[in-house]
Amino acid sequence: MEYVNIFIKASFIENMVLSFFLGMCSFLAISKKVKTAVGLGAAVVFVLGITVPINWIISNKLLSANGIFQTDLTFLKLIIYISVIAAMVQLVEMVVEKFSPSLYSALGIFLPLITVNCAILGGSLFMDSREYELGEASVFGLGSGFGFFLAIVAIAAIREKLRYADIPAPLRGLGIAFIITGLMGLAFMSFIGIKL
Amino acid sequence: MSEVQTAAKQPTQLLGKKERRLLTDPFNDNNPITVQVLGICSALAVTVAVKNALVMSIAVMVVTGFANLIISLLRNTIPNRVRMIVQLVVIASLVSIVEMILHAFQYDVYKQMSVYIGLIITNCIIMGRLEAFAMANKPWQSLLDGIGNGVGYGAILVTVALFREVFGKGTIMGYKVLPSWYEPNGLMLIPAAAIFLIGIIIWVQRAMNKKLVDIS
Amino acid sequence: MDRNSNVYTIVYAAILTVVVAVVLAFVHSSLESKMAANEKLATQKDILRSVGLVDLPDAAAVYEKTIKGLVIDAKGNTVEGIDATSISMAAEFKKPEAEQLHPLFIYSGEDGTNKYILPIFGNGLWDKIWGYVAVESDMNTIAGIAMDHKGETPGLGAEIKDNPKQYNDPYIGTKLYNEQGEYVAVSMVKGGVKDKEHQVDAISGATITSDGVNEMMYRGVGYYLPYFKSQQTQTSSK
Repeated sequence: MEYVNIFIKASFIENMVLSFFLGMCSFLAISKKVKTAVGLGAAVVFVLGITVPINWIISNKLLSANGIFQTDLTFLKLIIYISVIAAMVQLVEMVVEKFSPSLYSALGIFLPLITVNCAILGGSLFMDSREYELGEASVFGLGSGFGFFLAIVAIAAIREKLRYADIPAPLRGLGIAFIITGLMGLAFMSFIGIKL
Repeated sequence: MSEVQTAAKQPTQLLGKKERRLLTDPFNDNNPITVQVLGICSALAVTVAVKNALVMSIAVMVVTGFANLIISLLRNTIPNRVRMIVQLVVIASLVSIVEMILHAFQYDVYKQMSVYIGLIITNCIIMGRLEAFAMANKPWQSLLDGIGNGVGYGAILVTVALFREVFGKGTIMGYKVLPSWYEPNGLMLIPAAAIFLIGIIIWVQRAMNKKLVDIS
Repeated sequence: MDRNSNVYTIVYAAILTVVVAVVLAFVHSSLESKMAANEKLATQKDILRSVGLVDLPDAAAVYEKTIKGLVIDAKGNTVEGIDATSISMAAEFKKPEAEQLHPLFIYSGEDGTNKYILPIFGNGLWDKIWGYVAVESDMNTIAGIAMDHKGETPGLGAEIKDNPKQYNDPYIGTKLYNEQGEYVAVSMVKGGVKDKEHQVDAISGATITSDGVNEMMYRGVGYYLPYFKSQQTQTSSK
């Protein structure tokens, strides 16, 4: 039950994009079409689901003062997290390419972008500051990924419809995308306080 | 020969025309947030108060400036295959140093910004400038480009923070500026307000600067 | 030199790693003591805040002079040999209740009175909240409270820290036990205080934070009741 709670919390209430603004760059850049949005969203779920537990293990077993080195190495945390993320993205890219060329051609171009997606590093940093257990951390990673997926697919769908709307010229494109994101954020606020 | 030399010398002048453009362009025509759409991620949550926005801007400016400088110095040695990782490692070390300095000298701010300092690493502005500029330009120009982008970024951040703090709390940097009959508007304090404000800033900027309008 | 050869790439990566690690280790070790001092000072200031000592220029010195820490276990017995400030409330919170240790601070004022300062810990809307409850030497009347949080909404839940006048001061003078001697603690309630001894006004618009504060208060102070009982029997048997 605790796990379900964390999942719901991570994907709806504390949505990476809509309540913390993480991953905004790719969220705005790759949300013009639903199809590409689904691809990027799936890749994010994948990478968050893997990197959060791996970084948990590294941070708790290697870097913490009670880890195998018995010294406090937390000052290396940021470097290690980002390297793990970069390495994992590379690895995922290679594995997917080898075993599922069709998935690769769908995800391929988005994978390298994910390294610098704030939502991914954000996942690891939140996991750290909230002091989750390993199981909780894994669920949290998946939940945040799912939240990102949901948000980007939703905004892509809205933006596809927007093409038929008569928006003032200076507001077209980026401007209106921001305002929609804000409105979606407000809508997601209604999930606040939900506990299962 | 001598002509080539003067031509080569021209850009190395400390603040020539081109260098000045590197610093000023990011304010309007090439603003990292409103035009390049980079780096919105890590920072908007810190715009609740002007002080946090200022600290964040300075931190980002320092990191972009130095990361640009270092990568530009290394640009001819970096192996192509691990280029991204090298850039990330340089950025991550600079951010770690900034984090430790804040932890030691600005503890209150450090505590309030918590994970958002670490998230400077994935601030796309920094990576973006490294790829687009520092990998192909000389160190001095790269440093200026980094600082210029940091300042352009900070300008938007502080503007947003100013609106949010004044209307959300009636204060600036913690000092009361609005009379007591003003009822603080809670909407300004929630994250969505920052996004609305940026949308409006983009609107205003594009209305004034027609060449930026999105025709598609 | 071939920049794309394997050897070059590996050597390059190795050198970069070493340089970066050395630089970071150097910065870390030169700032370490300062960072630790900051953390300690922040806790000390929070503790002093609960007994009404706010904005002291020399908080560390005042703390040394007036505050004594001790550690009790779940049965209320004093545990020797552990520094009260070294206990992480977050870590204890995750243990089963019977194994938890609780730090307790005793403030001795200049007029010779003692106050007990009880750290409490719980969950708010977004993240952890915690606080320090100061209890008078009668082990019943609350002398003050200081609260802090990790990520409550600014202007709403965050008011537990930002607006102490409205949300901390009303606790002063409230009682932990009711007239029948039962433990009821003090709660934040909506829609006006009816029982001045056990209720204070809730934060409007921050129901979940207020509920979190109530829960943390009731459970957190509850841990110290066995200790208070043993203290009371000691003093009365003297």
